[in-house]
Amino acid sequence: MTFTLPPGLALQKVDERIMTLNVGPQHPGSGHMRIIVQIDGDYIVACDPDPGYVHRGEEKMAEYRNYITNIPHLERPVIHDSCNVLYPYVLGAEELLGIEVPERAKYVRVIASELNRCIYIMYWLAIYGIFLGHSTMFMWPAGDRELLIDLMEKMTGARVTHAHFVPGGVRNDLPPNFEDVCLRQVNYFEKRIKEYAAVFYDNPILISRTRDTGVLSRQDAIRYGTTGSVLRASGVDYDLRVKEPYDVYDELDVHTNVMKEGDSYARSRIPWLDMIESCNIIRQALQKMPKSGSVRVKLKPNPKTKGLESVYKRVESGRGSLGCYIVSDGKVEPYRVKLSVPSFRNLIALPNLLKGEKLGNMPSVYWSLNYWPVEADR
Amino acid sequence: MSVIAPQFKLSEFIKSLLDNIFWIILILVLIGIPAVFMILFAMEMPVIDGELLTPFLALTWLADPSRILPVVKAFMSTDIFRVMAFPGFGFAALLAAATIFVERKMLAKLQLRVGPFYCGKFEGILQLMGDGLKLISKEIIIPAKADKPIFWAAPVLFVATAAAFVAFIPVAPGWVVADVEMGLLGVFAVIGFFPIITILSAWSANSKFPFIGGIRALFQMVSFEIPLILSLLGAVMLTGSLNLSEIAASQSSFPWIVFLPIGAIVFFITMLAELERIPFDLPEAESEIVAGWLTELSGMMYGLVQLGTYLKLYAFAGLFVVIFLGGWNGPMVVPPFPAELLTEGIHMGPIVAGPFPGLPLFDQEMLNGTLWFVLKTVAVIFFILLPRGVFPRIRVDMLLNLGWTKLIGLAFVNIFIALGLLYAGVLGPGGLQ
Amino acid sequence: MSTETENPPAAAKPEVKTPPKPAPKKPEAPPVELPAFEKSISDKIIEKFGDKIEVGFVKEDRVRINVGRENVHEVAEFIRDGLNYDHVESVSGVDYPQDNEIEVVYHIGSYSESSLARQILVLATRAQRETNPIPGNDATKLPTLRDVFYSVEFHEREVFEMFGVYFEGHPDNRRLLLPEDWADLPPLRKDFAIKGR
Repeated sequence: MTFTLPPGLALQKVDERIMTLNVGPQHPGSGHMRIIVQIDGDYIVACDPDPGYVHRGEEKMAEYRNYITNIPHLERPVIHDSCNVLYPYVLGAEELLGIEVPERAKYVRVIASELNRCIYIMYWLAIYGIFLGHSTMFMWPAGDRELLIDLMEKMTGARVTHAHFVPGGVRNDLPPNFEDVCLRQVNYFEKRIKEYAAVFYDNPILISRTRDTGVLSRQDAIRYGTTGSVLRASGVDYDLRVKEPYDVYDELDVHTNVMKEGDSYARSRIPWLDMIESCNIIRQALQKMPKSGSVRVKLKPNPKTKGLESVYKRVESGRGSLGCYIVSDGKVEPYRVKLSVPSFRNLIALPNLLKGEKLGNMPSVYWSLNYWPVEADR
Repeated sequence: MSVIAPQFKLSEFIKSLLDNIFWIILILVLIGIPAVFMILFAMEMPVIDGELLTPFLALTWLADPSRILPVVKAFMSTDIFRVMAFPGFGFAALLAAATIFVERKMLAKLQLRVGPFYCGKFEGILQLMGDGLKLISKEIIIPAKADKPIFWAAPVLFVATAAAFVAFIPVAPGWVVADVEMGLLGVFAVIGFFPIITILSAWSANSKFPFIGGIRALFQMVSFEIPLILSLLGAVMLTGSLNLSEIAASQSSFPWIVFLPIGAIVFFITMLAELERIPFDLPEAESEIVAGWLTELSGMMYGLVQLGTYLKLYAFAGLFVVIFLGGWNGPMVVPPFPAELLTEGIHMGPIVAGPFPGLPLFDQEMLNGTLWFVLKTVAVIFFILLPRGVFPRIRVDMLLNLGWTKLIGLAFVNIFIALGLLYAGVLGPGGLQ
Repeated sequence: MSTETENPPAAAKPEVKTPPKPAPKKPEAPPVELPAFEKSISDKIIEKFGDKIEVGFVKEDRVRINVGRENVHEVAEFIRDGLNYDHVESVSGVDYPQDNEIEVVYHIGSYSESSLARQILVLATRAQRETNPIPGNDATKLPTLRDVFYSVEFHEREVFEMFGVYFEGHPDNRRLLLPEDWADLPPLRKDFAIKGR
């Protein structure tokens, strides 16, 4: 009986020296993703990432719901960064439906987006600490993150999966005393995260474990199409909030943090610098925000688009540039929604970086790529 | 029908009570009384007023409680007491339990948490007891293809070796379980068992993650044994003896850490590595190899391994105190024993209690020594626990680099300093005493 | 190659770089003033390839080019070498059962060239669609752009498993997100219905 393989599959001969290790989806060191690693002693010879453990078919489900009811489920790829995941979809839907968003709504969106970015980066940093065995670095960000989650709860009513952005603005206005509370908590938060330098970033064991590991050169970073903190850690000055400003980012002063080394230490430091930058942006936005005004353009139920159109919008989220490509055909539901997520785009760097690395460096390189498994699987 | 026991029947309740009484009396009579007699016959009885105290005479304490004191004192000088209670297992287990409590609470406060909170009225103090009960009640799962005799024996061997290590540590002058002439060599021999037991346990579990963890534990412990031994040789040279009690006694004026700080630091680092504490907890590296060589242990086997680990912690801290910090030496803070209690008794108005001829149970020297030893050990344990909140885990190649090159070099520097001090006549016979 | 014209959106905000656009609502509008920089990009491509390509639309920061599957590789090479785009942001498939075709859309961006920092070039090709697909062994094939832009590697694998479009020349057309034992239609096609809807 002849055995034909489906196209694209091939039989592989396995060496005797090489051990195949399954850093599987149920493993304290990998998030929910499987990485098939082939090691020769202590060195990694080949690596094959296998995402898809939490694939839920977000894009297929989006074709069955209309533009408004798509909001609660399209934010699920990253539950605590939900505002940023929805942002390009909402901007695209506004362009397709022909809506103009009021000014105060734009400022509220910017504040929510920056708070979400900080919340996400804190969680990512906590897991980075625990991958390296540093339990204090897990507890401190997880605890300090609660300050910002409280703010989001005041603003939207939910701690995670806020579902706050809608085409036309935001769902509700800010609560009455929000500006003062937000300013106080953001100031305290910034003071707290600056203390992380002493326990984490200047820690000699951390530096010796992450410096010069997983070095991604500038050429390669551009060629692989990486984005976000991975790109900025390799020396490319690219931040969508500066290059292609959306909402009111063109009126705010955003500074991009760039480091040239491109190793795991730089990739772990850039998000921390980004968080400090976010605190500045929030303070500016709170100052410049119009004190009153509507935050939402009321739409008729079941809004329809005009005809066969497609739009591609992108936004700088906690991990990098998130794009949303919407094709509409004049009906109530979109014809196709495609989320181009930064985690999936950064994944191509993983097999190339891990080749030749020691096994002990795998967690620090893998998670430093700012990879969120749930988002990559959508 | 009552609410508590809807199926309550009075006749069955009385039947169960009588059953219990029957079995208790049976066991007491058949086993308890012969056990008591055998213990009383096996113990060495003291001589009081020229008469050997017989077991029956010992039971007269029921009439006059002050007569129990000589019996208790005789019991305290036996080997059984030393092994089980005072400088041995009981004392070590108590300190280990206190260590676990302090570790959890201290780390929690460091990490913006609260730590155990609900178990026990005061700050979760009964949490360890709760954990112990939980572990006892869990099912012990053995992997199908594991090597069963070795797998069962490994945790027991681990605790036994840790307890053997505890037996060498002198707590007060004269109070040590095993007073061996070459005590320090015995300690080295016992420490050498630990990697063997670890690798046996890991290998017999027949699974990939314990395998990697066991190999890493073997690397770690073996490569840090040499700096450990070398760093202690400086103090041996300055004392001139391998007996731990003598080393402790020779530091009556000043501890050796004043002259051998490098040796103390090297010993501290190798101690962290032998104990598998962070930053050297590779064998248990949770984020890479699940739980390392402890992966397949469940239930009380895991409990035994944890007990052994904390006994080892106490023993290493005790060793550090004995060799570098002066053991039990310290200024006398215990007040002297009032001699009137022996002759006249206590006068409280018209009532006279006493005299108590058997006192004192613990003499002043022993109490003072124990107090200083415990204080110093607690301080050393505190410093062992602290890196857990501060450092991430080290990597295997960095570990081996440290153990085989840098620490051995520093240990040799320490030996040269000790030799220099000796030959210059600063210490040893003819120098400072 | 099917034709489709797409209109510029209505009521765009006035921008510093491009002149304000009027807002016609009728489908067959008289020629509107297109943004100048984006027009220059599309003009360069038209100049090189003539009528092998068709300009979909020229909007602010987005230029769309529709190409047939025979020429897409050449056009992509020109985009990389001549116009200095250097990476692909996303590859999406769109299923058009009524045209019997599956469209694959590449969004190409540039990190190294500063004038192109905002621009995304949308490159679209069409592959033939079959009613009973055997992914990999039927006529739904397209040439891969992996040797032109390395960043499409995982994206093309995903389009293969979600739509059944086989990319010739891609070294590794394997499942990525779907489970290994998926035996049903490629899920993002329109004839694959979610159970219960």
